[in-house]
Amino acid sequence: MTDRTRIFLLLTPALLLLGGLFLAGLGLGLLRSFRYMPALGLTEPDLSAYAAVLASPGFLASLGLSLWIAGVSTVIAAGLAVLSAVLLRQTFPGRAVILFLFQLNLTVPHLVGAIGILYLFSQSGSFARLAFAAGLIGAPADFPVLTQDPWAIGIILQYVWKEVPFIGLILLANLQAISPGHEAAARSLGASRWQAFRHVLLPMLMPGLVAASALVFAFAFGAYEIPLILGAHAPEALPVLAYRSFTDVDLANRPEAYAMAMIIALIGAGLLAVYARLALPSRGRDAR
Amino acid sequence: MLRLLAPLMLFTFAAEAETAADKALKSMTWDAIVAEARGGEVNWFMWGGADNINQYVSDHIAGILKRDYDITLNRVPITDAADIVNLVLTEKEAGIDAKGAVDLIWINGENFRSMKQADLAFCGYTDLLPNDALVNWENPAVANDFGVPVDECEVPWNTVQFAFAHDSAVTPEPPRDMASLLDWIKANPGRFTYPAPPDFTGSAFLRHVFIHAAGGPDSLIGPFDQTRFDEVATKTWAILNEIEPFLWREGQTYPNTIAQLNELFANGEVAFSFNYDPSQFGLAVQAGTWPESTRSFGLTDGTIGNTNYTLIPFNSPNKAAAMVVQNLLLSGDAQLEKAKTEVWGAAPAIEISRTSPEVKAGFAAIVGHPSVVSAQDLAKAALPELQADWLTAIEAGWKASVGN
Repeated sequence: MTDRTRIFLLLTPALLLLGGLFLAGLGLGLLRSFRYMPALGLTEPDLSAYAAVLASPGFLASLGLSLWIAGVSTVIAAGLAVLSAVLLRQTFPGRAVILFLFQLNLTVPHLVGAIGILYLFSQSGSFARLAFAAGLIGAPADFPVLTQDPWAIGIILQYVWKEVPFIGLILLANLQAISPGHEAAARSLGASRWQAFRHVLLPMLMPGLVAASALVFAFAFGAYEIPLILGAHAPEALPVLAYRSFTDVDLANRPEAYAMAMIIALIGAGLLAVYARLALPSRGRDAR
Repeated sequence: MLRLLAPLMLFTFAAEAETAADKALKSMTWDAIVAEARGGEVNWFMWGGADNINQYVSDHIAGILKRDYDITLNRVPITDAADIVNLVLTEKEAGIDAKGAVDLIWINGENFRSMKQADLAFCGYTDLLPNDALVNWENPAVANDFGVPVDECEVPWNTVQFAFAHDSAVTPEPPRDMASLLDWIKANPGRFTYPAPPDFTGSAFLRHVFIHAAGGPDSLIGPFDQTRFDEVATKTWAILNEIEPFLWREGQTYPNTIAQLNELFANGEVAFSFNYDPSQFGLAVQAGTWPESTRSFGLTDGTIGNTNYTLIPFNSPNKAAAMVVQNLLLSGDAQLEKAKTEVWGAAPAIEISRTSPEVKAGFAAIVGHPSVVSAQDLAKAALPELQADWLTAIEAGWKASVGN
């Protein structure tokens, strides 16, 4: 057996899963988004579901909200992650404990985190109760609106809380491969701490940071359960809108639900392309 | 890609005619059906959000089925019957015509309409069930599911009627009709809200306002009428936009689900919750999430009532056993058991007058939960449910004109 066939055989189970479940599902979804659903008597494929989705007034608001949630969450999470990674890279007493605590919430499911945010930050949540006990507010309505709010603060809080350690861990792994000598050299040549970070360390971290951020953005953009629990009733995040349309009582609306899902997938795929460009080794660019 | 997958979709056409097995089943006697059902397994997909309902089904009903009929009942908890409509539809698309995963669904309203629309229901058998005789099919609220004729495609299980809950310690004198409720909302800013449709319960609240705006249900009965809808809808949106600044969070957002409204009520943020199934109020008090001083009431101008059903999908592999389950659920004893306050408190779907003297005495002896307004009190002012087309038009109109 040559190496090539062995590699191929070993990859087969993973490829079968990917091809059989993911790609076939995507293909069926694509067909249905073209209004091809024989079980409902739709046998003439066309693009009218896409036209209907793009023209519906709620769609652009939902798209905007999803981009806002994913964009703001990613930027804040990435900033905090860089800061934490640079600090955690140093040796200090208790570092192991802090590193453990830093990674702890990676194991908490998103859904559990969302319920936790609700219990803590809603207008009748724990912080509101503390504020009431301290005499700061007189009724639940006096507490600032942090969940189901128009700016999606609760949703962004949840994603930041969950994704800082995710990006942070990737950066820490990257940092281990970067010799401290580069920064030391810059410092010895007169760079300030900030200049050494900004012009030496950050550029070396950038590919890993952008790749991790692209993953986080794609996840936050496509996730359904967090905006469902923590979001306002309107506009709804795009995945929530797509699911509502998928469970609409009128079966004739199914193609529109699939069209929305395809648009989400398309944007996700675009981000995957960014990720692939930056994270996967490409021989041409490594030589630079 | 299209060409590649097209053959996959083709065998969905196979499901057109009724299978020979279904025909044979419908021509059997009840005793033969019970014999056929023996050893069968029934996967019942039902809303699983209330522990006591789950317990009634998993312990009481499943116990009798095992003991008397050797049938295994698997209760599959779900959050929304719409998911199961999608599941059965997908099975039909995939050509699964006899070995579906679902044997029984707890269903009504829009989801029933969807099942009928796509020919996903097993129909034309209900008169075979001996306990079908206890059902008053002359009653239009039983023979029509949200205005859609049942046509022997499902079997009634419970009847419910919409009611409001309040905390008598906080709001001792709640408003008793829609007009005074609307006034109350304006006089008490931030203390009322309703779940945004398409939430099932929020949508039902909207229909009460809609019927109020129409001056009563009479002109809304029957098929959808665009002119009449536009007329009433304009008034309804005006009413709802007028109260919006006085709602919870000044109406800038609405709860997405009835569960969120219940949570707001439990936390004292709002003064009222409401439900299509008032027995839920008693359960929330028993569970300790709502105050003991919770009381409930209907409106003097009426609240909407409906019936919920169980349905067998066209591709259930255990139709005989599912029929036995449906027959047992309809029996006087099973209906009495779930009517008991400590079990569930659900109003029966059968005519009590047609049951045995023991069952009649049992119903007469039931003492209601103090937090749950009695079905008899509610029934004094009942409104019919509107047909599904009205319902979807109201939901869409709300989204465009109020909840934007």
